[in-house]
Amino acid sequence: MADKLKVTDAEASNQAQALFDLTGRVAVITGGAGLLGTKHAEILAAAGGIPVLLDLAQAKPEVAAAVIAKKFGVDAAGFATDITQLAEVEKVRNTLLARFGRIDILINNAANNPKVESDGAKAWSRLENFPLEVWNDDLRVGLTGAFLCSRVFGSEMAKRGKGVILNIASDLAVIAPDQRLYRQTGVAEDRQPVKPVTYSVVKTGLIGLTRYLATYWATSGVRVNAISPGGVFNNQPEAFLAELHQRIPLARMAHADEYQGSILFLCSDASSYMTGANLVVDGGRTCW
Amino acid sequence: MLVDSENPSLNRSSLFSLEGKVALLTGASGFLGRTFAETLLTNGADLIAIGRPAKLGKQVEAWKEKYGSGRVHGYYVDMFDLEALTKTLDEISGRHAVDVLINNAHELAPASGFNTPAGSLDQGNMDVWMRNLTAGVCWPALTVQKIGVGMKERGRGSIINISTMYAVVAPRPALYEGTTFLNPPAYSASKAAMIAFTRYVASFWGSYGIRANAILPGPFSNTEDAGPNSVRVGDPFIEKLKANTSLGRIGRAGELAGALLFLASEASSYVTGQTIVVDGGWTTV
Repeated sequence: MADKLKVTDAEASNQAQALFDLTGRVAVITGGAGLLGTKHAEILAAAGGIPVLLDLAQAKPEVAAAVIAKKFGVDAAGFATDITQLAEVEKVRNTLLARFGRIDILINNAANNPKVESDGAKAWSRLENFPLEVWNDDLRVGLTGAFLCSRVFGSEMAKRGKGVILNIASDLAVIAPDQRLYRQTGVAEDRQPVKPVTYSVVKTGLIGLTRYLATYWATSGVRVNAISPGGVFNNQPEAFLAELHQRIPLARMAHADEYQGSILFLCSDASSYMTGANLVVDGGRTCW
Repeated sequence: MLVDSENPSLNRSSLFSLEGKVALLTGASGFLGRTFAETLLTNGADLIAIGRPAKLGKQVEAWKEKYGSGRVHGYYVDMFDLEALTKTLDEISGRHAVDVLINNAHELAPASGFNTPAGSLDQGNMDVWMRNLTAGVCWPALTVQKIGVGMKERGRGSIINISTMYAVVAPRPALYEGTTFLNPPAYSASKAAMIAFTRYVASFWGSYGIRANAILPGPFSNTEDAGPNSVRVGDPFIEKLKANTSLGRIGRAGELAGALLFLASEASSYVTGQTIVVDGGWTTV
């Protein structure tokens, strides 16, 4: 009987418990104190990982990290960091290496995302008026930040011969925004709010970065993948939701915690033979 | 292990758990099928396996012994006999509430043009083509139709179609030159059609809570069996396969377990109409 209950190595490796385990792995998450950043951190912590949240000082990443550490009984850290500054990113790396001796996972999650569907929408978002400073700032955070973090933390992983980088792209890296979704009644054509051009450019750029890094570091044991999430329900106006739901086979937006499965899948050894892939998690929006 | 008591779904083993689910798997006795079956059983699902009695029978008995006879059900049929397959699926649909349907079966044999010049672009006859299209398109169409009825009634279900990287990139002739291996065009075409079918199901049944996705495995050479499509360990062909990947190695069957668990479980509740490419970066370059 005891023999029958014994699992072989091959079988054990198919068990969720082992496949998705992150015990002791240090995971850097940019934009880590935000709505989705904290969700990413939670699932990594639940799997035994050590989340390291990077965010701007006003987002208080150290506070968010302390909450997660307490909730999951794991080690966690948060650093106020401007990821567009090489020196700041390198400082975080040095601190992490001194404290943990390793960096295993990087999630490039930070991006500017102005809520065009909310009432703050102004004609500035239209391409004809789109301010150069906003363009530069969006690319700096979304792309330059991802590049610098990949360069600094990814190099460390390549040196150790193991690691995972996960880039958070968007369904808008696969399809164009449907600007009809953001229309407001009673607003002149040339004042209608739109999804900013930078969002599509940054998110699509991250897919290119994903493929580039995947082959660049393939033989160094660093896997690089992307996920392309659809929108998360966050009490958007009824009319917007009704319009959006018609464009999604599952007829709803995602719950804030619904990307956690994908995050853990791609950050763990459960995806050990995947690199350069883009996992689209969009309720089917791009399949029709 | 630490568990978030307020939100049990954050427990990694429950997020990916198949406890209480019933999974129907075709081609369960094949090289990848065996790993899929073990993955489903190890993670809590009851298994319904369809296949030919000669191969599947012994395997089902072994799984019953290991996981409990109540958790494994073998249904024996030659799937090319579509009438018999239809009858079998009706029987299964009447007896079991299937939560997860995995279309994994294909015929990787000379009869369907594998590893024989008779399967090639120049020579493949319509019988070769029809056997591939039957396996890649008609079998999933039939299982989805028959098993989907119950899924629609219950308002939930996950359909997982096992396609291939050769549905999105073509095999390179140089890879096969000087070997006895041949991957027929009918296989690529049938597996590409399978992806189109996957999207169609996702689109039309999304509102019933049914999800449909495909896994696209890269080079997972069968080094375990002595069958017509297996490869000996140390065969130079494996070296050529390795060189075509980014990771520089072929996949181990167990490396598909994560993708299968992800798609079969609630961990992928917002994923539908998609393909998950597990190819070591073959299609990245």
